[in-house]
Amino acid sequence: MTGMVRDKEAKDLNQQAGSRADASQFLTFSLGDELYGIDILRVQEIKGYSAVTKIPNTPPHIKGVLNLRGTIVPIVELRTKFGMPTIDYTAFTVIIVVVVQDKVTGLVVDAVSDVLHVEKKAIQAVPDFGNKVDVTFLNGVGKSGDKLVSLLDIDRLLLDPAGKDSSMRLRNPNV
Amino acid sequence: MSNEFAQFQDSFFEEAAEHLAVVEKGLLELEQHPEDLNLLNKVFRSAHSIKGTAGMFGFSAVAQFTHKMETLLDLLRGGQKVVSPLIADLLLKSTDCVKTLIESLKSGAVVDEETVQRLTTELASAGALDSRQADSSGKKMDAVPLWSGGVTRTYSISWMPPDWLFQRGVDPLQIMKDLRCLGNLTKVSLDVSRLPRLADIDPERCYFAWKLQLTTEKDRQVIDSVFEYVRGDSGLSIEEVKTKLEVQQVSQGTDKTVTSPSESDGPKPLGEILVESGVVSRQMLDQALAQQKRVGEILIEQKSVTPQQLEQALRKQREQESLTQAKKPDTTSIRVDTEKIDKLINLVGELVITQAMLSELGSRFEMQQLPVLLERMVELERNTREIQERVMSIRMLPIGIAFGRFPRLVRDLSAKSGKKIQLILSGEATELDKTVIESIGDPLTHLVRNSADHGLEPPDERLHHNKQEVGTIRLNAFHEGGNICITVEDDGRGLDRDKILARANKQGLIGENERPTDDQIWPLIFKPGFSTADKITDVSGRGVGMDVVKRNIESLGGTVTIKTIKGNGTTFILKLPLTLAIIDGMTVRVGKETYIVPLLSILESIQPKANLIRTVVGKGELINVRSRYIPIVRLYEVFGSEPQYTDPKEAIFLILETEGERAAVMVDEILGQQQVVIKSMEQNFRKVEGVAGATILGDGRVGLIVDVRGVLAISRRGHAIAA
Repeated sequence: MTGMVRDKEAKDLNQQAGSRADASQFLTFSLGDELYGIDILRVQEIKGYSAVTKIPNTPPHIKGVLNLRGTIVPIVELRTKFGMPTIDYTAFTVIIVVVVQDKVTGLVVDAVSDVLHVEKKAIQAVPDFGNKVDVTFLNGVGKSGDKLVSLLDIDRLLLDPAGKDSSMRLRNPNV
Repeated sequence: MSNEFAQFQDSFFEEAAEHLAVVEKGLLELEQHPEDLNLLNKVFRSAHSIKGTAGMFGFSAVAQFTHKMETLLDLLRGGQKVVSPLIADLLLKSTDCVKTLIESLKSGAVVDEETVQRLTTELASAGALDSRQADSSGKKMDAVPLWSGGVTRTYSISWMPPDWLFQRGVDPLQIMKDLRCLGNLTKVSLDVSRLPRLADIDPERCYFAWKLQLTTEKDRQVIDSVFEYVRGDSGLSIEEVKTKLEVQQVSQGTDKTVTSPSESDGPKPLGEILVESGVVSRQMLDQALAQQKRVGEILIEQKSVTPQQLEQALRKQREQESLTQAKKPDTTSIRVDTEKIDKLINLVGELVITQAMLSELGSRFEMQQLPVLLERMVELERNTREIQERVMSIRMLPIGIAFGRFPRLVRDLSAKSGKKIQLILSGEATELDKTVIESIGDPLTHLVRNSADHGLEPPDERLHHNKQEVGTIRLNAFHEGGNICITVEDDGRGLDRDKILARANKQGLIGENERPTDDQIWPLIFKPGFSTADKITDVSGRGVGMDVVKRNIESLGGTVTIKTIKGNGTTFILKLPLTLAIIDGMTVRVGKETYIVPLLSILESIQPKANLIRTVVGKGELINVRSRYIPIVRLYEVFGSEPQYTDPKEAIFLILETEGERAAVMVDEILGQQQVVIKSMEQNFRKVEGVAGATILGDGRVGLIVDVRGVLAISRRGHAIAA
């Protein structure tokens, strides 16, 4: 059964998440009216947005770098990465700090929503859009209530060696 | 092999490297002072430690080889052999061999088995040589009385005196004293097993027995004679103790094959055993082995997998392999003086107290306490600064570590070139950052090689010039200001101005009619491809190297200067920052961004008058600084940021120099000068062209440190390399 798991329950499940092979937990966040999920074990922390230092000559989705308790952490603007229009930051704008192959990266998202408990069976394969939409960095889609949650493969998302960032579009923002 | 074990292995490698350094250094000194027994013992102990720990870890190749070295060293120690140049050379080569063996364990590199074998036999035969050679030069031997064999032996003496010993007025202590006159009484233990209960003791009877060990050059009869008066009823046994090495030699004599290191490593493969037992012939085995297939091929044949699937699986395997290789951590560790840590702990204690005082003050602060608050703040600042210094000093190591390799290098160079060279090291205790020490090794080696090969003359030429036959290379290190200076000095022929000038003319570096000063000429030798050596040797002279030296030193933020007097020698002076973790920087502002420019590369900063700025072909901007035209680099263009000023008249220019190239970099404002701690961008991100690193500014934001060379490169190219 998929469904929203809240507060205390979430905490309990959080501790089991690593040991249970048939289900995993995802931190869900929103970009516009879409929901996305990241494997919760890859999330180091969530912090409010604060000003970053721009790095020259980097792709547009690299917002800049941030001082995270003494280490320099690059910040990725997920909207730009997905080719969505940028919006003004609000009090809900947060940075999700994730760890990918020992490297720490921050992702700027519109808002975090929930911790979602998804059983392996309930994860659907990503539908094939052909060349129209690049979905290679999705692991699958799950459900949260009546909402669709796209589950991100952050390794592929952040370690994309081809660097085809500008052409990478999850969806056409004009539709 | 478990992880835990691997961790111990690392410390083994570290320890072995240290011991090897001791062995090498000791051997080099022994060459000069062959009779120094202390030194020999030190070398022996280190070799022994390597053997022991290697054995413990099951590195049998290392253990066995080191054992051979140890055997020879023991012979030297025992005086049966004397450290001849031949033996010293052999031992040094063996030390190298142990090094490669250990290196191969670490990295899995292949060892040249032949060399190992050859050295093993050489070590064995050197140990087996008769001691004629030793007799002629060994000072120790001169003192040996005629009636002894001239060899020290160790005897184990077990003496149980008769119980009437005291009644006859014999003092056992006197016997011990007599024995001690014969040689070295290494062990004395008292056996009280015959001692009855206190009530039963007859004070006039002797209940004791002794076990003694005596190392002496005297014969057995002489020892016997000590016990002459008590022998009658004594239980006395005197036995010669065979030293380990003699036992080893015996076993070697009977069964030579056992000692070959390659054969005793683990169980043999099945095929080998079958061949040995005669079940199959070598040929049959080889054929069978050739037919052996890989799992993948078999699976494809059985149609269990398709070739594509297999290909995928193989790619995955390779990826994983490359991943594990890449992930293999490069463990580096520092041994720190406990004193340094104690002081640090002390300071942290003070910091905690200051912090506690401050928070108490803050919890019920009144305006009149302001002076107290300020005072506390000053204290906090002092604490923090001191802790920073102490923490930096933990990374500091004596430069002697980098100097350590040179005695050997010079010795080898001297042997190769036939020049007599003496190396003098000083200032070895000067401390500098570990990373700097690691990176100056190669440049220094090159300079020393250069001095030995080009600087110093052959002995006959030196004599001809009324110089001492032995040439001197002097390495010195000392602190000067916030820098460390390392000098490499030789008393050789010095740089030849005319020769360099001629060469520079030929290469078109300097025009025929120019009259350059000495300071302009000497740096020419750092130009790539510039060599004045008449002939190329395998040591140096190809014109590569000096440029590498200069580049290496500059990449560390240092400088190289040359002082030379023709006929009197050359001195290279390396000036290096104490640490790479902190740099002096100028903080500048471009629009809203703050950048840090390394102070070392700033010559001056100016606000030019409009008439000093000129353009070439309408675009290329130049600025006239005291009648020298320098190209302008607009930092906002390079970094793609929004500037406050685009008009050069309003902006400020930093005149930067790197690798002999100057540029005027345009910024909005200079904010100030400060020391910044360099933080890595690569740790979580990657290298960014034009950015040397990042640092945390006073307000907690990240500031980028400008890589001057990179910025100039981008500016020349017109764009950055696409990330």
